[in-house]
Amino acid sequence: MTLAPVEDLAVSGAPVSPRKAAKPPQDRSGYLFILPWFLGMAFTIIPFFASLYLAFTDYNLLNVPNWIGLENFAEMFSDDTWWQSVKVTFVYTFVSVPLSLAAALGVAMLLNRGVRGLPVYRAIFYLPSLLGGSVALVLLWRYIFGLNGIVNAFLGFFGVEKIGWTSDPDYALTTLIILHIWTFGSPMVIFLAGLKQIPAMYYEAAAIDGATKWQQFRKITLPLLSPIIFFNLIQSLISSFQTFTQGFIFSGGKGGPANSTMFYNLYLYKQGFEQFHMGYASAMAWMLLIIIAAFTGLNFLMAKRWVHYDN
Amino acid sequence: MTTDESYIERIGNSRRRRFTKHLLLCLASIVMLYPLLWLVSSSLKPTGIVFKDLSLWPAEWDLSNYAGGWTALQFPFDLYLVNSVVIVVLSILGNLLSCSLAAYAFARLNFRGRKLFFALTLGTMMLPGHVLLVPQYIVFAKLGWLNTYYPLIVPNFLATSAFYIFLMVQFIRSLPRELDEAARIDGAGTFRIFWSVILPLCKPAFATTAIFTFISTWNEFFSPLLYLTEQELYTVPLALRQFIDSEGQSQWGQMFAMSFVSLAPVIGFFIAGQKYLVKGIATTGLK
Amino acid sequence: MISRRDMLRTAGLTGLGLAVAACGRGFGGGGSEAASGKIELNMVWWGDAFRAQKTQAALDLFMKANPGITIKTEYQDSGPYKDKLATRFAAGNPPDLMMMRMDSLREYADRKSLLNLNDHPGIVDTANLSQAAVNLTKVGDAVYGIPSGLNAIGFIVNKTITDQYGVTIPDGATWTWQDLAKFAKEVTDKSGKKVYGTLVDPATLANLVVYVSQQGEDLFTADGKFGVSEATLTAWFQMFEDMRKEGGFPPAGFVETTGSSPDQSYIAKGSVASQIIPSNGLLGYNKVAGGNLVLLGIPGEATAKRRGTNIGTPALWSIAASSKHPKEALRLLNFLINDVEANKAMGTTRGVPASTVVADAIKPTMEKDDQVATDYLIGLQKQTLVAVPPYPKGASGIQDELTAVAPEVEHGRLTPAEAAKKVIEAATKALSQ
Repeated sequence: MTLAPVEDLAVSGAPVSPRKAAKPPQDRSGYLFILPWFLGMAFTIIPFFASLYLAFTDYNLLNVPNWIGLENFAEMFSDDTWWQSVKVTFVYTFVSVPLSLAAALGVAMLLNRGVRGLPVYRAIFYLPSLLGGSVALVLLWRYIFGLNGIVNAFLGFFGVEKIGWTSDPDYALTTLIILHIWTFGSPMVIFLAGLKQIPAMYYEAAAIDGATKWQQFRKITLPLLSPIIFFNLIQSLISSFQTFTQGFIFSGGKGGPANSTMFYNLYLYKQGFEQFHMGYASAMAWMLLIIIAAFTGLNFLMAKRWVHYDN
Repeated sequence: MTTDESYIERIGNSRRRRFTKHLLLCLASIVMLYPLLWLVSSSLKPTGIVFKDLSLWPAEWDLSNYAGGWTALQFPFDLYLVNSVVIVVLSILGNLLSCSLAAYAFARLNFRGRKLFFALTLGTMMLPGHVLLVPQYIVFAKLGWLNTYYPLIVPNFLATSAFYIFLMVQFIRSLPRELDEAARIDGAGTFRIFWSVILPLCKPAFATTAIFTFISTWNEFFSPLLYLTEQELYTVPLALRQFIDSEGQSQWGQMFAMSFVSLAPVIGFFIAGQKYLVKGIATTGLK
Repeated sequence: MISRRDMLRTAGLTGLGLAVAACGRGFGGGGSEAASGKIELNMVWWGDAFRAQKTQAALDLFMKANPGITIKTEYQDSGPYKDKLATRFAAGNPPDLMMMRMDSLREYADRKSLLNLNDHPGIVDTANLSQAAVNLTKVGDAVYGIPSGLNAIGFIVNKTITDQYGVTIPDGATWTWQDLAKFAKEVTDKSGKKVYGTLVDPATLANLVVYVSQQGEDLFTADGKFGVSEATLTAWFQMFEDMRKEGGFPPAGFVETTGSSPDQSYIAKGSVASQIIPSNGLLGYNKVAGGNLVLLGIPGEATAKRRGTNIGTPALWSIAASSKHPKEALRLLNFLINDVEANKAMGTTRGVPASTVVADAIKPTMEKDDQVATDYLIGLQKQTLVAVPPYPKGASGIQDELTAVAPEVEHGRLTPAEAAKKVIEAATKALSQ
């Protein structure tokens, strides 16, 4: 079962100390609190399991699906484009997630205290993320990363030859990674919110004790912010494994040049809605779920070592 | 070295450091502001030269894009803005209510099936949305909700956004447990603790949820496209898309102008909402 | 400083006010058809607001003449259009009349989702359609739609540029691919690489099919197989690589992936002197490229084994097999195809009307460029051309592979021969599924 790793998540609170090992009593009112959630399952869980069923069929959107067992899953392994999409997605995720989180945390810390004009900076740094859904964005990218765009103009200053940021298969993914890092607004906002949860008196006390900024960061910020860092990490992992819009807009839905930006989710979409292989697309979706769940589960396991919950 | 000297050096240091900080922030701001400047500049260029004139300062000015774009579609643009606002406001209310209830239960209460339910919630977040579209569409069609706002709003009242639940769970879990326990000792019930202890302390998480819901709902393109059929109900992103057609004669200038118009509420909401980002435990303190 | 309570109250009131304002919209139910006793047709198509106005004018005429029928239209940009259409079909809620992409036709038709027009004879009059137009939509004996307009690909040359650099434009009826290469090189050389001579996308099936047909091969054989030989595909890729080497064709990396509308084209920017366009785009391209474009035929037509240019259509009008009102939908279809006034109202936003009678009748009302394109098309319909039947299921997989390998050839990662091999492999696989 794919959800197994999540079993380990410490929902009840991080490592339970032996003294507190006795569980709090059952609280039935919990069901009352998740009543809306139960009703909402109609919109999430039904489609969720419908897609699981379809993963084992030859569903083509227009005809009744036929059960074909594991055929869709077997097909993936002999599908070159599928492998390419896995490669693209992994490279993208493992390069851009750490970098964008580091940028987000760095800027959030910078903005957290003692900067004049803070609200202005915060809004400005969030801007690129606000534009994310805009249809105008594609033109902006071309304008910035085009052969005659400002990036090349800037580099030309230093004698660098024109680079095909969007048209050269060797550069296209790099361009998308840069764009991803540039839109670090969402994790930054969450970091900011998290930083504000840390009582200022901790820092004051540490400062009196003569702790350096770095020590304060290591001993106070990191541990107390760790649940939020953890959230951002999981969240960024999941969303970048599922990257679609960026790739779609960037390549006009083609994943080009030469499949160099063929994200997993983009290929899934093309299979499902362009080639009508919805059964295959569903199988791909569940394969991705397994991959993501594996990484998420791994993180939940490691979280016990570094994520600090107050108990 | 006397104390005076070290004091002066420290001041000098901090001044230099502050200056570097601002210089860095300003440089970064330029990079970050670029898209907005570009958008405004493009909205002021005549459609014909949008792709030829690459400078930020328009070589030719065309202020008519705003007035023209406002009335270019079947309905004036304010209709689409109001439609979007209605959906956004209700979605925010829904997410705040339902997700905070569920998050509190997942983070603090102990009941059978909790881990499984939470795992399921996270699981739904991991499945690519494209394969859910058709089954979801069928569910909403069966309910007779096509061409209404229900599919866009009701799920938000039913805690279907795993992202916000997870976000709030993490925030609630980072709150000291002594708070709950103290309240419990004072005789507060579960709901009372949720309402008077947890909620007030979760303002940053609420502000984050509200801001994110605003942005994602405001920008959401495909769901409204799928469920709304009448122009009268269209949201802003649907309207914006009608300015362009890959085969026809796109009205780029007008599209940029209306894009900028539609960006204003988002920026406004962010600036208004961010105040609440900074109102956590740090400012209210532990009582 | 506003207190939390004030803020909540304001938010509540605003929300309430807006909700009231939006009441009746968005929160009501459907079911207007039952209430009014009228028949309601749902018609969908892709395009922009301009096309919407033109189309609505025609539909108003229809509704005036048929008081018992109302038409609800929806339109989107072509990208999201096809996703929504597929979803609606999948959920058993398709529109009655729809614009159908030529390359999706058989994806739907082969799965029995579209109405066979031959099952309802006598409503749609196809007497005035040229054979070429009728052939476009035939799948076996069945007909699954009527072209919403016709087009063919043509070559445009920017005369302002050629005049500027003193290059003679070849004769568009007789020129060969070698002539194109020579012409392109001359433009590039004389302009000092400021302008490249020509740009043809080797990855577009509609371009490839012409060349393939000129070599005496069919893109798809009668039994639905990929009919292009490795040699032909290799030659196709090689031709552009040779031109690139000589300078007539832009260097690798020049073509960027975003945007395909006329105003984003390289000819509009003046960085290339000629390119292939769909003929109904002439007006649009001329508007953005300075107004001095010349329309030529495709190279090689006079000297090849057989003609390569074919009559195509940007889209078809099709009717869903499960439509509740097939008769009324067919009547509307007939109106769109054959009514002169309706077509005057619609103009040529969807290509030259498929009915030759209508095309002749509305020609005087067209703009000059549209007239040129219409003449080009009417001329072509009188010639003997090789018909290209609707692409079989899986054709989009071939297009995808072409799109993927062409840049690899461009950047020297694959030889033309290797690319050809890959395309044929992918095509065989895509068509067998």
